[in-house]
Amino acid sequence: MTISRRTLLKTAGAAAVVGVGQTLFPSWMPKLVFSPTAKAQAERDVLVAIFQRGGMDGLNAVVPYAEGAFYYDRRPTIAISEREVIDLDGFFGLHPALASLKDVYDAGALSIIHAAGSPDPSRSHFDAMAYMEKGIPGDKVTATGWISRHLQSAAWENDSPFRAVGIGTMVQSSLRGPVSALSLRSIADFHLQGREDHLATIQQTIARMYQIDAPNDLLQAQARNVFSTVDLLQALSGSEYQPANGAVYPDSDFGMGMKQIALLIKAGVGLEVACVDIGGWDTHEYQGGSDGELANLLRDLGDGLAAFYTDLADYMHGVTVVSMSEFGRRVTENASQGTDHGHGNVMFVMGGGAVGGIHTDWPTLAPEALDEGDLEITTDYRDVLGEILIKRLGNNALDQIFPAYSVNTRGIINER
Amino acid sequence: MPMRRSDFLKLGSISAFSLILASKVHWSGARVVNATQSLSSDRLHVLNRMTWGVTRVDIDRINALGIECYIDWALDADSIPDPLVEQFVAEHPLYWQPYEELQALAREDYGVVYTAALYHRCFCAAYSEKQLYEVMVEFWTDHFNIPIEDYLVDKIMDDREVIRRHALGKFRDLLFASAQSPAMLYYLDNAYSYKDHPNENYAREVMELHTLGVDGGYTEQDVRELARILTGWGVRDGFNNRFYFDSHNHDSHEKVFLGRVFPAGRGIEEGLEALDMLATHPSTANYVCSKLVRRFTGDVPPQTLVESAAQVWQQTEGDIKQVLRHILLSAEFMLTAGQKFKRPLHFEVNILRAFAPHFEIYDENWIIWNTEALGQMPWGWHPPNGYPDVTAAWISTGTLLERWNLGMGMPQAVEDWWDGGRLDMDALIPQVNTAGELVDHVAKQMLGGDLPAADREMLINFVTDNAGDQPISYEQRLDRIQTLMGMVFNSPYFQWY
Repeated sequence: MTISRRTLLKTAGAAAVVGVGQTLFPSWMPKLVFSPTAKAQAERDVLVAIFQRGGMDGLNAVVPYAEGAFYYDRRPTIAISEREVIDLDGFFGLHPALASLKDVYDAGALSIIHAAGSPDPSRSHFDAMAYMEKGIPGDKVTATGWISRHLQSAAWENDSPFRAVGIGTMVQSSLRGPVSALSLRSIADFHLQGREDHLATIQQTIARMYQIDAPNDLLQAQARNVFSTVDLLQALSGSEYQPANGAVYPDSDFGMGMKQIALLIKAGVGLEVACVDIGGWDTHEYQGGSDGELANLLRDLGDGLAAFYTDLADYMHGVTVVSMSEFGRRVTENASQGTDHGHGNVMFVMGGGAVGGIHTDWPTLAPEALDEGDLEITTDYRDVLGEILIKRLGNNALDQIFPAYSVNTRGIINER
Repeated sequence: MPMRRSDFLKLGSISAFSLILASKVHWSGARVVNATQSLSSDRLHVLNRMTWGVTRVDIDRINALGIECYIDWALDADSIPDPLVEQFVAEHPLYWQPYEELQALAREDYGVVYTAALYHRCFCAAYSEKQLYEVMVEFWTDHFNIPIEDYLVDKIMDDREVIRRHALGKFRDLLFASAQSPAMLYYLDNAYSYKDHPNENYAREVMELHTLGVDGGYTEQDVRELARILTGWGVRDGFNNRFYFDSHNHDSHEKVFLGRVFPAGRGIEEGLEALDMLATHPSTANYVCSKLVRRFTGDVPPQTLVESAAQVWQQTEGDIKQVLRHILLSAEFMLTAGQKFKRPLHFEVNILRAFAPHFEIYDENWIIWNTEALGQMPWGWHPPNGYPDVTAAWISTGTLLERWNLGMGMPQAVEDWWDGGRLDMDALIPQVNTAGELVDHVAKQMLGGDLPAADREMLINFVTDNAGDQPISYEQRLDRIQTLMGMVFNSPYFQWY
């Protein structure tokens, strides 16, 4: 995909229309012309942060099948049998619905961090999500997200409106803060409508009413972003996007989200961080075993990740994907053949830099090892994110991103 | 030149607000429409917050009654005649059918019932005369959030029997009705909670989200105990899907909840007592009032108002009308004009109100799909905390573009070729002589007030192709009026209220 000279002229023209000249279409814009594929990656990875909303059942995603009775006796109807798991290391095995991730794992591009999570004891979805996305467990005052603080504290500048993108209608809490993020539902539909012969005036008038040449509030700043984003996305969606290497994304919100992120990475529009959600993990009832509700969710997750990995093969050396969920689920299943809110969970890290394998200080499922009936957390999720920030994103300002926390690197990812 | 009270309040609000947020993001928030001779800015502010969008009818009414009488009139919603909604229900009786019939209809065609439910929601918000009541229906819909997908008919029953029945009643009644509503019992899993394996989902959320608030002074142990207390609270299939207490599924041992010992073996009484403790708890007064004050004032609810509202709440045992009356008549409320950002559903419904009564909707689905594109489909929020009520959650590049496109698209409904509805533009905007008159009429109809001079001039120049304010022909008006309206809907003045 290339951005043609015509596109550049068109956006320059739009700038002239709104009457604010070069300042509206900032320095990132011309770069498109000269490095359209961005294969020669910048000095840092693109980060893709996946949030599994609702609390994934990590014990059925990456099954500690060798725990034997400690696992199987507590989950009489939902356990994944030893015969069904896809063995990883003789102790843990993948849920069969995650089969497509096995190839990524075998290629050494998937780190699995077990018994990980946020140390805050809250079992409330909203508190736990907020704490995790803010990056400050237990803090109710801070309004900014950890990714936003990463961008704010980074030593480099990037005024592309695509610097931080949240897939979906609303921007994720991790992206909230002074560095504004773009929320993107669909690249193809991102254009300004109106009567053709009035469009130029409409743009001009709206731009002036919002004073977008000198925005002094959040709404005005977003108005400016709309204009500087519309033309470019229109150019990107001009032709049907064809994933490379025969990759097939699941036809789901998550699959489409991953596909759009892949497109933006290949287009080289200055993307540094993308957030995408996958919901539905609050499996309180009838979550199923190797088939059923949880299996469907895991299949969507695994197939989406694997398609992304295949599609971006040539770019993966500069991409890191990390998944998280607000908490895990209770070890013992409930009366509804589901699981209630728990604690420790699984995180996945995928990318060219990943140190493949299972990384865990496994606390075991022995009764005395449990944290109020839940899997204990032995790896703080900030250790995982912090290691990525230092080694792949070139940001050492962890005291600003995760204040009052000292990150311990765990060797889950290599230096660039 | 003497400064009027309304101007003083307006200035006060701007400085107070910017002080609060000066260190963070800079909001304007205060882009209020100018006061006009026919309507004071206080009255416009009151109308903005008590309705889904200001219409000429609202303006006439508040000018006739004055602010205080208008508030009392609106609070007495049962006495307000509502001919449009009555006619609508007569023509669309599906929504109010008995439970069994709704179930039968849904089995036959899920989509018909689903569309009818969401459209009923949009229609009432837009066209009911009981506007404050409809604003509160929205508030409680978020507060006791239940998504529609899995619980279609039960959700409709919840809307009818819980939210709409008690929206301006007593909080205690609302809470008890919600706790025994099948949709809630299913959604938060209490219907699947058994004495051997209590499910904690509802027990947690009823405290965190419906009553005490997450900092309201309960522990994880209280969550577990309340879950035990509420075992057996469920739904009995086949009996009109009504609430049912199953004593065989109830944990009959002793519990200790919020420091009070619940002796063994009291059955359903335990749950009723626990809910009563929650309904009357000071944390509940404080938490629900802080949400109410945020709904009516802005992102940073004035603490003095939260406290005084919580006092009224405690004195009146959670009488929602009395608490609202207190909030709406408070000095703090009056200082907050223009500080709330319209949520997406408000944006669309406001457009419908601005077109009333000259807009005929042909395609109900179109109205619903728009709300989805904007990110706020009625009953479309999945987690139990309801759609957010803070500005930052709703301002993003993507949703702003969706708004602009809807704002520009809806006035196009004047053409016959368009299937979604038909707007009688000639009836909506009176005949005018000049471009200036046209812009003023459009602004009054859309915003309830005037545009700032510079923007007014810019729009006049759009109408006359940069020839300034001058007489225009009917053809000129026809050619420009839709885009003109779209630009007013898309202006910052239509986003804040």
